[in-house]
Amino acid sequence: MVLITRKIEFSASHLYNNPELSPEENRRVFGKCNNPHGHGHNYALEVTVAGEPDPVTGMVLDLKELKEILEREVMQRMDHRFLNYEVAELKGKIPTCENIARVIWELLEPKIKKGRLHRVRLYESADLFADCYRNGVGGV
Amino acid sequence: MQSREDYRTDLAELGRSGAAPLRVAGLKIELGRRYRFAASHRLHTEALSEEENARVFGKCANPYGHGHNYMLEISVSGEVDPATGMIANLADLDSFVEREVIEVFDHHSLNEDVAAFRNVVPTTENLCIEIFERLKRFPKANLERVRVQETTNNSFEYDGNQKGSAS
Repeated sequence: MVLITRKIEFSASHLYNNPELSPEENRRVFGKCNNPHGHGHNYALEVTVAGEPDPVTGMVLDLKELKEILEREVMQRMDHRFLNYEVAELKGKIPTCENIARVIWELLEPKIKKGRLHRVRLYESADLFADCYRNGVGGV
Repeated sequence: MQSREDYRTDLAELGRSGAAPLRVAGLKIELGRRYRFAASHRLHTEALSEEENARVFGKCANPYGHGHNYMLEISVSGEVDPATGMIANLADLDSFVEREVIEVFDHHSLNEDVAAFRNVVPTTENLCIEIFERLKRFPKANLERVRVQETTNNSFEYDGNQKGSAS
């Protein structure tokens, strides 16, 4: 089995707020991520697909094809958007790294027809990221 | 441009369905976090002669030690709390790592200042194991693994949960 990874970057804004908590609790739990007008990040997304190289093309999945899927499913949805308000899949969820990575997994998995999605890693900053795997496949 | 009133309405909508379980069957989410500390060490063991130490450890055995800027990467797993969207609150994780690792190692000599390395060579392999042992007590999530980068050209990983782990 071979793993192939494609990386893309997008910029977006968000804020953390749970309406079931009081303003004070929101402030305590989310700190400055609760600031009402939001803030932004340069996100980096690494998508890893696992599979056997095709005997004819030598490819697990044509990276160009993967790039197009990422462009369509992630860039067009999230790049230069306010994640809370403009991304339907995140409506009603706190747009943490964990939740965004999971949404991206759900968007991508059905679109990958060759090989299988192995890992989605979403960096919110160089020092903070979330990984999403199929259960029991953790680690690379 | 939204008015303030619109904003309030929007804020009230945020997270409304957050009470529904966010876990999707069969998916595992991990949170990764990176920290940095600078420390010195010397690779040397009483179990070997001076010549053997020099042969095995090369310049890492120089008598006064030397230092690195270490980068620590940890991964924790657990359920994503529907109320917060988080596996663990970063402030809790950061303060735990600060207390258990950064305060202990940063700007210290691993050999002289850390009890665990009194009789154990502070290679980055052993450093990974020591850090894992310290951080596995984090009460709010499961520690999956630690990765320590000693320089930008080498890194070491340890998962103390696996069978056959060193400790």
